[in-house]
Amino acid sequence: MRTRDINKEELVKQKAIEMLVKYGIEGFGMNRLAKESGVSVATLYIYYSDKEDLIKKIGTEIGQTFFSEMVKDFSPTMSFKEGLRKQWENRARFALKNPLKVACWEALSHSSYRDDMLEESLANFKKTMWSFVENAFEKKELLPVSIEVFWSVAYGPLYALLRFENEGKSFGDTPFKLTKEKMDEAFELVIKALTP
Amino acid sequence: MEDTLNNILVFATNIRTDNDKKIISRTLNDISEIQEWNIDQEDVDCVLRIVSEILSEEQIINILHQNNFNCTPLD
Repeated sequence: MRTRDINKEELVKQKAIEMLVKYGIEGFGMNRLAKESGVSVATLYIYYSDKEDLIKKIGTEIGQTFFSEMVKDFSPTMSFKEGLRKQWENRARFALKNPLKVACWEALSHSSYRDDMLEESLANFKKTMWSFVENAFEKKELLPVSIEVFWSVAYGPLYALLRFENEGKSFGDTPFKLTKEKMDEAFELVIKALTP
Repeated sequence: MEDTLNNILVFATNIRTDNDKKIISRTLNDISEIQEWNIDQEDVDCVLRIVSEILSEEQIINILHQNNFNCTPLD
């Protein structure tokens, strides 16, 4: 009797994420994945019907983990500043803990898998974030800006700092470490920019 | 999913082209004992994956051979 080996399955997922980041979707193959994760090709095809199925499942799972981390201890009724701070904390924690998953998500987000992944994992998260922004507008805690401008100003600085942190350096080869002070400093500037 | 693991059969084949796929589709779609099947033509082995509670590896191999395709179980 063949049984599903959860550890093996997790190892396959982990390897698949690593390989998608390293080789991209085009360079990723089931044979190569089987070899690198030490399972037979047949085993892979028992878990997943094909490469597309595997990539979709992995993308959706990352999305679900990501979005459930984002709404942790967060409520759309929070004050704008408190809510946005929580978003910064949640996003930073996830990105620092799961750099590979984030890189994989990035790669898949720019591919034809985007719609499938997002449809499955994003709907509830989107609703929560929309109502957060709408509440903030209504309470006049947020300047009337378009959603794209809002997102860029609200999260752009955070993702830029996380990139420096990820690379361990900033301009030239100046070593960089993302401290709480630096994050607070950037966060306060963001609040200044977005609030009346 | 757990309970269907034993019903999944995986083969390396030479079902390479769209036309090959068309030919074998006609046969496989007509077999009511096959619940689900697909071919990963992106893979070098053109892996054929069959979900069936009843059919054996040998029976699938025979079906493929009758249609002039190679078919080797993957383990």
